[in-house]
This record gives sequence, structure tokens and C-alpha cells, in this order.
Amino acid sequence: MNTKYLRFLAGAAGLALVTATGASAAEGTRVALVPGGPHPYFAAWEDGGRDAAKDFELGAADYKVPPDWELSLQNELIESLVSQGYNSFLVFPGDSVGTNSTLNELGDFGIPSAALAGCVEEPTQALFCLGTDTGNSAYLGTKELINALGGSGKIAHFTGFLVDPNTQLRIDAVERAVAEAGGGVEIIQVIADIDAPEPADEKINAFLAARGSEVDGIVTTAWIPAVVASTALRNLGDKRIKMVGIDHDQVVLDAIKDGFVHGTMLQNPYGQAYIGSYAMNLLNEGCSISDDAPWATTAQTSKFIDSGTAFVGADQIANYQDAMVKVTQEIMTTFKDAYLSCK
Amino acid sequence: MTNHRRPVAILFSSNQFGLLLVVIGFVLAFTFGTQGFASKFNLFTLGRVVAIDVMIGYAMMVVLVTGGLNLAVGAIGVASVMFGGWLMEVVGLHPLIAVPVTIGFGASLGWINGYASVRSGVHSFIITLATMSIFFGAMIVLTGAQPFRALPQEFIQFGKMRVFGIVSPLLFVTLAVTVLLVYVFSYSSFGRKILAAGASPAAAELSGVPVGRMFIYGHAISGALACVAGLMLTMRNGAALPSMAGQLGADWLLPSFLAPVLGGTLLTGGVVSVIGTLLGAVLVTIINNGLLLLQIGEFWVQMFLGLILLAAVVLDRLRSVLAERRRATA
Repeated sequence: MNTKYLRFLAGAAGLALVTATGASAAEGTRVALVPGGPHPYFAAWEDGGRDAAKDFELGAADYKVPPDWELSLQNELIESLVSQGYNSFLVFPGDSVGTNSTLNELGDFGIPSAALAGCVEEPTQALFCLGTDTGNSAYLGTKELINALGGSGKIAHFTGFLVDPNTQLRIDAVERAVAEAGGGVEIIQVIADIDAPEPADEKINAFLAARGSEVDGIVTTAWIPAVVASTALRNLGDKRIKMVGIDHDQVVLDAIKDGFVHGTMLQNPYGQAYIGSYAMNLLNEGCSISDDAPWATTAQTSKFIDSGTAFVGADQIANYQDAMVKVTQEIMTTFKDAYLSCK
Repeated sequence: MTNHRRPVAILFSSNQFGLLLVVIGFVLAFTFGTQGFASKFNLFTLGRVVAIDVMIGYAMMVVLVTGGLNLAVGAIGVASVMFGGWLMEVVGLHPLIAVPVTIGFGASLGWINGYASVRSGVHSFIITLATMSIFFGAMIVLTGAQPFRALPQEFIQFGKMRVFGIVSPLLFVTLAVTVLLVYVFSYSSFGRKILAAGASPAAAELSGVPVGRMFIYGHAISGALACVAGLMLTMRNGAALPSMAGQLGADWLLPSFLAPVLGGTLLTGGVVSVIGTLLGAVLVTIINNGLLLLQIGEFWVQMFLGLILLAAVVLDRLRSVLAERRRATA
């Protein structure tokens, strides 16, 4: 009986799957945009990829999300996408070293890849890293906070996953900005690994309950801590604590408008996907990376392109997208000539 | 009870044969129904994932046969390879020395689980629930959550090599361990003692089997196998990563249960199927890969895996009832 049952399962599964599929043949440049896991920051990649596919007539520029923040799941997803005919990869590294193994294998198969929004450590076959200069963004955001505090006070820093290659850069940058304040500013707590709703909610609210009266300013350098901290300050009705957030979640933007948050540091995820897809298409069409490209250098890579960052306060909130549109246009205007060598 | 049925009939009615048919069914379905399933690249990467998932399944299987559980498979795997990474990168040991020392370390962590469970009389579910936090926490404290990234090239290259262009050598490691486990559980008195201890500890004790020691051995082997799985994953990733099995190593729990339970190893202990575990892991990996290729949606894959585990547990319950009936009529 057992065998019959399993035979039936096999037959039914085979029949269902053979009839269910409808894979199409690969055509032209097929870009896969693969984040490290589900996260609202990357949602704009889908629009950026779709618009790039339309504007540059790509075969595809699809946003593919691993179901969880696991390097193995990301690796398996990338491998399955290769089998589906994707021939260019823009990847947020699940691990700044571990992801290299997969990108190097893609390179061995002649498939170009680049790191997007976060860089991989060198040596790597990733052709470049296009992302926010996260250290600079955190530094500028902290400077804005210190100015809002009048040059002195106690601040807290809420930031992202420890496995995110950007997190340590952000922690270091906030410390640098504080050190430059001349001793008037003190970091009383850094809470990391909270770029998910549950830990962010628990730890930020516990911090505010315990030390809310002690802290004068908050800088957040990851999306979800920014949202949770904005909500917490609104719930407390506290406009004494100054906060500089990050990214453009509506909760943060509304809190800026209503005076609960001083401002936010914008990043450019749409531009990353749009410019990245454009670049991968040119590389697939025969361009190569230019020897004398004006790369920036970070702690992780010597082939970095800054996708832009800008502070948005209450004054700029109505037209907050303008700054990033401008940066994207600037990069697009010069990208081909500056970074690529095309025959 | 004497079995009067012919060997061919026994083979056809076995759980492993049925599982093999299901695997073949899915392979055919995905080969003809998806783009790229049978491509060289996919076969290579599929083989590599299968090799690791089978080993994770074995790590749980050898404890399940004792009637126990090892929730710390992932924590042992990651803690061991971080130790191995330290040996190779910081101490500078050659992989030929570091790898066996690391496997010994993994076995000792498993031994701690078994010893604590036997000596305290507390079920291994509770003990390993505690040690998964202890092992993982200690690893994070000692390493500062920093990976070992400069491992010897001869070690890393093993995970990237291709035999005949499509076969990962990691599969050979898994096949070697499979042969060893088949021998242990089918042909050695040591394996039979473990099975006897798992089937009925009281009866085994009366027969002179050192039940407690067998339980400890089962956990130690589990630790060693979890470590081998971790080493294989490290070769694939090119670095020893604290995050490779997720928080507390919990990402390995689902595959570790799926493979042996689908394969016919009873959760109540005393019955093992090494080949079944191998086929169970192959089935799960193929379904996972095929669903991704079908572009059904990455989030649906997790739901399917959960449903498969549920179905496997129901099958396990059916098998338990049938086994009880056979014992009663014997």
C-alpha cells in the first residue's frame, strides 16, 4: 500500500509540474537583482530594474528575493537563476566574503556580476560596487544631529545587522563624527543587529524606557530602527530628543513633517538598480571596465561608485525625491565614458 | 517471524523503493518542465547542495535511532568549523591535520550532549535545546562574530572542483560516509547495539547492551557528522562564517529532520534507514531546486518544505503503527 501511495505521488507530481511550467527562452541581457533577504530598503530595486528593462530594452531586470537572510538561501537562489538563463547579476552580499565564492563561480562561467548597495571584500570577480557610501552617510547624519543639538549632548546609535558589511562602517563613522565634536558629545549606547521589527521594537522601546530622560539625540543608520524609533518618539510625544533617521519610509517622513524627527539621510536604491542594470547591459554588449575609471576606495573595495546620499529635513520634505533623481541623472550622464571602455 | 515473501517483492514494497520512484518522478518532471534543471551548472550546484543536506540529515539520524533528538546540529556544525577556521588561519595547521582535529572537536561537543543527557536522565530534546545556545553563544563570544576568511586554498578549492565537469567531489565524501553508516548499522555489532538501545532501552539493558554508552556514542557521531557538514559548507562558501547556519544554527533543523523522517527512520528510535535518509535529502533538495526554477516564488518554497515535513511526520506515525502491529503479531 505504501509503495502504491508513493508511486501515485510521483506520477501526480510529475504530471502537475510538467503542465504547470512556462519558462521562456533567454533573450539578450537578463539581469537578476538579488538582495541578501527580505527588507523594505530593496523594494525600490524592483521599480529601478523594471524601468531600466523598459528604457534600455533588456531581456529582463528582475528583482529576486531570498526568503530569508541566509547566505545559503541566497547562493541557492543565484544558482537557480543562472539555470533559468539570467546572465548578469547585481547582488547585495549576504556576507562580504562568503558571497565572493558565488560571484567568483559566476565569473568562471563568464557571467558578469557586481555588488549593489553593499560591497564584497577584495579579491573578487565582482566588477564594481555601486552603493551608498554608508560611512559618509552615517557621518553626515551624525554631524546634522550634533548641529541640531547645538554641539553637545548624549546620543544613542541604532543600527543594522552585524552580518551586514555596512554596519561596522556606520558604527565607526558615527564615532568619528562624535570625536570631531570636541568632547561635547557622548555616545551613551550603540544598539546593533536590530534591522528587523521584533528586535528593533523590543530594544529601542526598552532603551527609551530606561534612558529616555538621559539621551538628547538619536541617530539611526538602518531602515527599521529608523521607523521604530520615529514611532516611539511620536508615541511618547517627545520633541525634546532630536533624531536623524535614514531612508524614506513614510513613517519617518511623516515624523519629520510633524516635528518628532529632525531629518533623514536619503539613500538611492532606485538609482542603484537602474544604473546597475544599465551598466550590466553595456558589459553584456561588449563594453569592459575602463582601466582609468574614477573609482572611489572604501575599506572593502577599490572599485566603489557612490550612488548618492543627502540630508532631508522639514524644509525639503515636500520634494525629497528631487535630490536622488538629480544624483541618478548625474551618474547616468557620465557613467559610460567614465567607467566603461566600449568599442 | 519468518518472511516468506520473495526478495524482489520485499524490495518493491520497501519505503526506499517508493521514495526512489518519487525522486525519479520529480527529476523527470523538473527536467522536462523547467528551463535549466538538467544544465551542467545546475547539476553541479544541485549535487553540492545534496552532499551537504544529506550529511546534515545523517547528523540527526544517528541520534533519532537512539530515540533522542539533537537540536544542536547546526550549533555544533558552526562552532566546529569556526574552531577549524581558527586552527587553519590563526594557528596555521595544514588542512590534513586541522580537518580531523576539527571533526574530533565536533564529536566531543556531541559527546557532551550525550553525556549530559544520560547522566542527568533529562531527554536530549531539553539538553540539546540548552547546548545549542551554549555552543553558539560561546562561539560568538570567542570569535567576536568575525569570520575566518583566509583559509588555505587547497581546502577551499575542494568545494569548487568539478569532476567530469558536473560532479562536486563533496558528493564523494557523502557517499563514503553513506557506505560507512550502512556498514555500521547493517553489519556491525556496534550498530546493532545502538539500534537495540533505541528500540527498547530496558530490554537492551537486560541483554547486556550498555545503553547509556550507546546513547553517548550516537550523540558523538552526530557531532562529528554535523562538523563534516559544516566543513563541506565552509569549502563551498570559501570562509568559516558564524552566520552559515543562521541564528543558533537553527537553519539546519528543518533539513535535518526532513531527510531521516522521509527516509523511514522512526522518531521513536530503533529503526534506521541510511539509504532512505540519503533519498529523503535528495528529494527535498530537488523539490527546493525545482520550485525555484519554476519561479513559483521563493517564499512558497519554505511553505512547501513545511508541508513536506508535516506529510513525513504523518508517514512516520503510520510506519510506527505498522511496526507495532508487526511486533504484536510476531
